[in-house]
Amino acid sequence: MASWIAELQEIVGREDVLTDPERLLAYECDGLSIHKHPPAAVVFPESAEEVVGIVKVLWRHRVPFLARGAGTGLSGGAVAVEGGVILELARMNHILEIDYANRLAVVEPGVINLMLTRAVADAGYFYAPDPSSQMACTLGGNVAENAGGPHCLKYGMTVHHVLGLDVVLPNGEVVTLGGHGTDAVGYDLLGLFVGSEGTFGIVTKITVRLTRQPQAVKTLLADFLSVEDTSRAVSAIIAAGILPSALEMMDRATIEAVEASVYAAGLPTDAAAVLLIELDGLAASVEHEAERIVELCRTNGARQVIVARDEAERARLWAGRKGAFGALGRISPDLMVQDAVIPRSTLPEVLPEVYRIAARYGLRMANVFHAGDGNLHPNICFDGRDSDEVRRVKEACREIMELCVRVGGTLTGEHGIGLDKIAYMPLVFTDDDLEAMARVRAVFDPEGLCNPGKVLPVRRCRAF
Amino acid sequence: MAVARALAHEAEKLLACIHCGLCLSACPTYLQLGDENDSPRGRLYLMRAVAEGRLPMTSEALARHIDLCLGCRACETVCPSGVRYGRVLEAMRADLARERLTLGQRGARFLLNHVFTSPMRLRWIFAPTRWLRRRPFARRLAEGGLLPARLKLALELLLATSPEADSIFTLPRERRPSPSASARGEGRRVAFFAGCVARELFEQTNRATKEVLMAHGCEVEDPPDQVCCGALHAHAGELETARALARRNVRVFERCAAEALVVNVAGCGAMLKEYGELLAGDPEYAERARAFAARVRDISEYLIEIGLRPGSRPVGLTVTYDAPCHLHHAQRVTTAPLELIRRIPGITFVPLVESEICCGSAGIYNLRHPELADRLLHRKLEHLRRTGADVVLTGNAGCLMHLRRGVRRAGLSIRVMHPIELLALTYE
Repeated sequence: MASWIAELQEIVGREDVLTDPERLLAYECDGLSIHKHPPAAVVFPESAEEVVGIVKVLWRHRVPFLARGAGTGLSGGAVAVEGGVILELARMNHILEIDYANRLAVVEPGVINLMLTRAVADAGYFYAPDPSSQMACTLGGNVAENAGGPHCLKYGMTVHHVLGLDVVLPNGEVVTLGGHGTDAVGYDLLGLFVGSEGTFGIVTKITVRLTRQPQAVKTLLADFLSVEDTSRAVSAIIAAGILPSALEMMDRATIEAVEASVYAAGLPTDAAAVLLIELDGLAASVEHEAERIVELCRTNGARQVIVARDEAERARLWAGRKGAFGALGRISPDLMVQDAVIPRSTLPEVLPEVYRIAARYGLRMANVFHAGDGNLHPNICFDGRDSDEVRRVKEACREIMELCVRVGGTLTGEHGIGLDKIAYMPLVFTDDDLEAMARVRAVFDPEGLCNPGKVLPVRRCRAF
Repeated sequence: MAVARALAHEAEKLLACIHCGLCLSACPTYLQLGDENDSPRGRLYLMRAVAEGRLPMTSEALARHIDLCLGCRACETVCPSGVRYGRVLEAMRADLARERLTLGQRGARFLLNHVFTSPMRLRWIFAPTRWLRRRPFARRLAEGGLLPARLKLALELLLATSPEADSIFTLPRERRPSPSASARGEGRRVAFFAGCVARELFEQTNRATKEVLMAHGCEVEDPPDQVCCGALHAHAGELETARALARRNVRVFERCAAEALVVNVAGCGAMLKEYGELLAGDPEYAERARAFAARVRDISEYLIEIGLRPGSRPVGLTVTYDAPCHLHHAQRVTTAPLELIRRIPGITFVPLVESEICCGSAGIYNLRHPELADRLLHRKLEHLRRTGADVVLTGNAGCLMHLRRGVRRAGLSIRVMHPIELLALTYE
């Protein structure tokens, strides 16, 4: 047994260091199960002090490590690609402070996203970033990936809602980034840290902004008979200067899967696609904008636009949308979800082309995505046991990425680069760009121990 | 290999898990332990590894994490992909049972296969326990430090079944529905599923159920030759015994010309409703089991279906509801109990936070894994304390015992009752 294992056991207790290969199996992948790499150990810290202790041991022994929350990430970010130790933060799940007067909450990284919103709902607040996995994913993971979600169209990403962080750097040093205020003096290290995909250190405490619930909310469902019409309606809404709080698209394959699941929301299964549109704000403006949106959908070929009658119907529609990714598991044993961003005006030309790429490779595809942001999520349904199909999935993914970059888009909207998209990084960055990023990373993690093998492509010869 | 065979016919359900992880926060053991291996997704991952030959059936980790599962099926309620976790789990446990068993598991299996299969033997086994629970020394024994921990726990649970506590006889006003109410005679005929432990230890709940049914104009038939539903067997992986019991119940209740087969224990109800699937491979019984299952109703479900008529006497209590997993998740009966409770006259209803999360009872889980069961119980009691309720209602024998024991040990002044018992109080 390696000596560092005994040292870790001393910190958290024998029971809370997993080293038995059979018990490490479940930790070989996260939400994107196509990448599998078992860790050398999993350790369960319950406090910031324990995290510091663990990191110091691993730093001293030069053992690579990474933090993991609920393992719902979709870029392979919580996979121990180079072996090493996973720090499972699920037990650090306490809400430490809720301060309505200053509209903020202080939480541990293992707090589940939705739990925070539930905790403040009665007081009239919510935590705005709402990834589709919000009922399971942790805020620590959200910080690492700079998670988005349907309502980020209006409210912004995780980075816009994090006010401060306590971070354990890879050498075990503890620093506080940001604070309780809206802006910290000096360089925006907080902004740099959020979205660093676990490569700069481990978060042990997060201060987030709480947002007041809007006075009025209206949720519309528009259905269309062609994907092209649906895309045009999206572009029209954005071009008209309306900012819905969410503007989501689901195509027929997705609708069918959702309607067959426990999250069935009464979506029309004969539509080519639907738009789920939400408006919030002052009642008067919401009314007015809703009328404009109905009109824009109609002129772009909507067959029907309905308004959710009550909170229950609204909740049902959103549950259907958020369960969509999982519901696609009904179609095939494995699922590859892509995450790319395109300029919103290009949606009508790009989306049909994405379907054509899938067809060319003989793959089944379902699209469910944040249309208002131009954040595509093509889901490819496949069977991992069929190696030829796996090869075609990979090739199709690459073509889709190349297409998105070609029209002026980029590689990820919210899932992160992780392990899955490293190979695409040269599509958008030059060697010099990547080199500059590697230098930034080295400031935080000179030894390359913290979540190695993620974000930046590994090159044999480093310039320094 | 047995594994491959049993898992093969569940393979499609196993493969339906695409690892999205939405089940994690619904899983009580994951919420407590934070270990992927103790989450539904992690357990499915281990089972898939066995099916794919990456993990041996003799794996220590597999046995441990499958054993730690409560079988509450909360994961099924949230699974977008429709993984039939409960069925996969039962198949896995059946396979594991063939591989090896601990001494405790052997003992439990002996009881399941040779005692719970016979109403007569159950009667003999439970007779002394009924005597015991009325003895003052039993309470002293349970409160003292003489007994080994496991035995003390069993005794506490037994005492938590005693009719002296929380029964309709000790509530503020003694009210029992009058059978004469059935004189209205709408000619509804129902068969009553009495349950095995429930018949022996929950007489008052069963009586309340029958009397409320009569007050609704039902003629109630309680076939004396019915047997245990087989749920404990199926959950432990003793599928063959479960099937034998199911066949017998199918035969017994076929003789009842009843429009519904009413059950007041959530765990039994879930099993009875799944007889169709349990006996799907039996050509002689498949169709009959499906017909049987189609008639099964939880008492709350049935009363709402035929039009609930609560009595007129107000109970004047603040009440909360804890959803039994096998009603809420396995049977998906979620609104009927709430509707029933809200319509009891004189009720102030307060919702219970995390009411859909298991209390830790889970059949005989609390006896097998007392430490984890108590952690879940503690979590539940914290939420109960905050409701300020006089009574917590829950429609399952195991939960009633487990919660009542917890409430008493914590010194809370909350009564734990079956919803039907409170409803029964409202009749003149």
